[in-house]
Amino acid sequence: MTDDGRIELSAVCKSYGRQVVLDRADAVVERGEFVAVVGRSGSGKTTLLKLIGALASPDSGAIRLGAHDLARMSESELTLFRRRELGFVFQFFNLVPTLTVRENVLLPLALNRVARERAASRVGELLERLGIAACADRLPDQLSGGEQQRVAIGRALAHKPRLVVTDEPTGNLDKDTADEVLELLISSCREHGASLIMATHNRDAAARADRVVRIAAGRIEAER
Amino acid sequence: MRFALLALASLRFYGRHPWQLVLAVAGIALGIAVFVGIELANNSARRAFESSTEAVRGQTTHRLLPLAGMLDESVYRALKRDPRFVASAPVLELPFTMSGMGSGTLAMTIRGIDPVEEVAVRGLQDLAGLAGTGSGDPARLMAEPGAVLLPADVAARFDIAVGGQLALSFGTDGPLAELTVIGTTESSVDGEPTLVADIATAQEVTGNNGFLSRVDLKLDADAAAALAADPPPGTVLVAAATEDAMLRELTRAFNTNLTALGLLALVVGMFLIYSTISFTIVQRWRALAVLRALGTTRAELLAKLLAEALAIGVSGTLLGLLLGKALSSGLLELVLRTLDDLYFRRALGTAEPSAWIYPLGAVLGIGATLLSALVPALLATRQDVDSRRRSRLERSATVLTRRFAFAAPPTLLAAGLLLWVAPRGLVAGFVALFLVLIAGAMLVPIATRALMRALEKPVATIAGLPGRLAVRGVSDSLSRTGVATAALAVAVATVMSIGIMIGSFRESLIVWLDRTITADLFVAVDPETTTDVETALTALAARPDIEGFNRQRVARVTTTAGSLDLRAQSAGPEGYGIDLSEPAGATAESLLVEDRALLVAEPLAYRLGLAPGDSLEIATASGLVSFRVAGIHRDYDSGSRSELFMALDSYRRWFGDEELTSVGVYFTAGADETTVTAAIRAALGLDRRAGIRSTARIREASLLIFDRTFQVTEVLRLLAGVVAFLGVLSALMALALERERELAVLRSLGLSIRDLFGQNLAQTSLLGLTAGLAALPLGTALAWMLVHVINRRSFGWTMDFVVAPGPLLAGLVMAIAAALLAGIYPSWVGARADMGLAWRDE
Repeated sequence: MTDDGRIELSAVCKSYGRQVVLDRADAVVERGEFVAVVGRSGSGKTTLLKLIGALASPDSGAIRLGAHDLARMSESELTLFRRRELGFVFQFFNLVPTLTVRENVLLPLALNRVARERAASRVGELLERLGIAACADRLPDQLSGGEQQRVAIGRALAHKPRLVVTDEPTGNLDKDTADEVLELLISSCREHGASLIMATHNRDAAARADRVVRIAAGRIEAER
Repeated sequence: MRFALLALASLRFYGRHPWQLVLAVAGIALGIAVFVGIELANNSARRAFESSTEAVRGQTTHRLLPLAGMLDESVYRALKRDPRFVASAPVLELPFTMSGMGSGTLAMTIRGIDPVEEVAVRGLQDLAGLAGTGSGDPARLMAEPGAVLLPADVAARFDIAVGGQLALSFGTDGPLAELTVIGTTESSVDGEPTLVADIATAQEVTGNNGFLSRVDLKLDADAAAALAADPPPGTVLVAAATEDAMLRELTRAFNTNLTALGLLALVVGMFLIYSTISFTIVQRWRALAVLRALGTTRAELLAKLLAEALAIGVSGTLLGLLLGKALSSGLLELVLRTLDDLYFRRALGTAEPSAWIYPLGAVLGIGATLLSALVPALLATRQDVDSRRRSRLERSATVLTRRFAFAAPPTLLAAGLLLWVAPRGLVAGFVALFLVLIAGAMLVPIATRALMRALEKPVATIAGLPGRLAVRGVSDSLSRTGVATAALAVAVATVMSIGIMIGSFRESLIVWLDRTITADLFVAVDPETTTDVETALTALAARPDIEGFNRQRVARVTTTAGSLDLRAQSAGPEGYGIDLSEPAGATAESLLVEDRALLVAEPLAYRLGLAPGDSLEIATASGLVSFRVAGIHRDYDSGSRSELFMALDSYRRWFGDEELTSVGVYFTAGADETTVTAAIRAALGLDRRAGIRSTARIREASLLIFDRTFQVTEVLRLLAGVVAFLGVLSALMALALERERELAVLRSLGLSIRDLFGQNLAQTSLLGLTAGLAALPLGTALAWMLVHVINRRSFGWTMDFVVAPGPLLAGLVMAIAAALLAGIYPSWVGARADMGLAWRDE
């Protein structure tokens, strides 16, 4: 199988106890595509992101990212896969509180054993690009919400992943900041050729996606 | 309603975190169990001691002793006629040796009493009280000539039944006396087993008709003052309490030491409670802020948190009381054995401990819990309504860390001042010790931060960003790691200090044994021997394998400070074998040249406040004579009977006593011990069972007893270690729980379970390393205080302060091992954090 960076979900099922969240769900995300996932609260958006993000395994069905079949990978293979191929941006930023801005962005590069000089130059470049170079040596606690989310974007893109998974990345920000952050996220992903899957309630954010899919009754339906 | 809801919130919180509840309850339970266990054991042993001495002394307040020899019975009769001294009883006490077929010999005392007067003076209810728990009827002593009461254990050993006959000889040339055992007594505590007889019987069989050893009196203050001011000629009045004051004081000091160790376990337990309650508050920081935002007052929040602490305290205390009761039986055995080994040299009975210990334990347990919870609870109630950020908490912790660090020097100063103001007080010594411990604990958080700063670069160089994460995890979570590290450091320092103290003591004991046991053999001279000992020794001295002898006489002498043991000795080929502590640089050989010079053992000198140059009046054959205290000698063995030490010549001159108690034999190089022993037996006419003891074996036995003595301390060290382990476990569990989200994010970013497990373990090791390093100076300082303050004030002993690397290294390893062990499970739990957490808030 060729590694075209395409993400493909086939007949994916996931339940929590008796509650069926995804029922034979199918979906495809092309490389570099920005897909927004919408749906009511509790519809299964976060579950879908966890499955695509290799943070959980489906009960049945297949999830493929390029040549990788996530359902067939071991725990350690999944860990390495996440480390190399994925980036995450969380609603609540989730920066490592004991690391500075620079170190948080450096973290994925360090995990991937990128040479010190290359890593430093990459981090510097990202911080400049994201407009947070001035606060490089500050701890997350000393930053505003918008700044924290910029750091999170930097961390998600530092190692040039194939896919960035994000759940309501602007849900915790005011409108102006949210617009800025979203713009940065989308443009940065495009610059790096990374696919972006974003779960959101925000119609404006969804409107900027290449494609919008809706989750309802355990199925993924194309909305636009 | 609102309190019910607040209580429900608390209940549900602990329902979700049962291990925290278990650890908090366990911490209190263990702390209280150790304290109550020790107190019960101590109290039981103390009561056994008191009931034993009470049995002998009863309400006797004073003793009238002869200045020399025996007391004429007429003195007693004259005294009895004076209404002020009517409560008086005559006593004749003499040593003798009991022997029997196949049962060896036993040094005993015959005590002649007037049963009726004895009952009055000792305040017993009736004559039966004289037999204690024995089976005899003391009334028959007066009615039946030759009737005696024998201690039950002696009767069993020599297989003598009640109604049996005894043929005993008192004194070398004494006639064989026919005695009838009419019953048994319980064993007495003051020295050798005692055969009780009517005074007339005792006088007759010992050949002392018309003479007494002393008169026991029950006097009020005025009568005592009058008699002391104008005693009958040739007598001295001594307060009965001074007779066993030394023993009582030593026992009290030993008990105080144990109680302090128990309290130390409680203090470590308090750290545990403090850290656990702190963690539960930290975990609910946001929830508590929300409660404040919703209108909960500070007082209501404080009441809620203290009510939680009270519930935990009550549960832990109840469990601790039960555990303490169970623990006390094991500890009692160790305490009694130590007291027996150290002071009594015979088995002590047991006694029911005071029931007050349980309520005392309950008050301490609940009080300690509330006190420990108060600080974190107050901090929680003082937080801003909108303070959802942990950084604020960390900033408060940083401020608190600095305040603690600033408070440490004044605390140390207070300890120093206390020692200066009360230079002899044992309790003051312990309070100072605790202040040093607390000051040390106060410095631990700031030391942790400093050490982590120093370690960050090297660790990051070696282990990269995950290493840096581990270091920062410790220093940036001081609100939790600070307390955990302090608790561990306190426990490790305690264990370390006791180790150093025991090591110092053991080293000093070895040196002392080497200096004092210079002879190769000790031969106990049979007081009933018919052999001329001096002639035999002269003959033995001609042997090529014997280098020489020292001659020793041990006697109980009457002094103005009470009856004391005096050892008089001639210098052997290697001198007197005395380890002088004062004056510095002097030798016993040079000091004892002077007539009327004596050396005083450290414990006695400390108790009586005697120093070189002082004098002590002793009743000699020539009346009361003032002896000069020429020096103070070390004496770690209360059974050595060397409270006072003087040259044998001087003793013979003043006391007119030419007898010998024992002889130390010095071998020439290459001498064969068996051959020399056989020669000595033959020359002195000793049978096979007679006491010839190799000094090598005495040395071994001394060290064996020493090690046994400290078994109880070892047990307490272990318990303190367990409490500390629980403390660290609790802290690390809380940390792992709190870092769950962070760990979930790291897992999402690609850190494997193994990476996180390793990182967590690295963090716990750093915590252990910090605690261990902090414990090094703290443990050494505490050990110094134990050696130079606590032991000195408890027992009067001085000893060398020996800091061997062993206890320090063991403490460091213990700290890291405890943290590592305690960190395994939390690290595992943390490393397996649900990655979904990263997607959720709260």
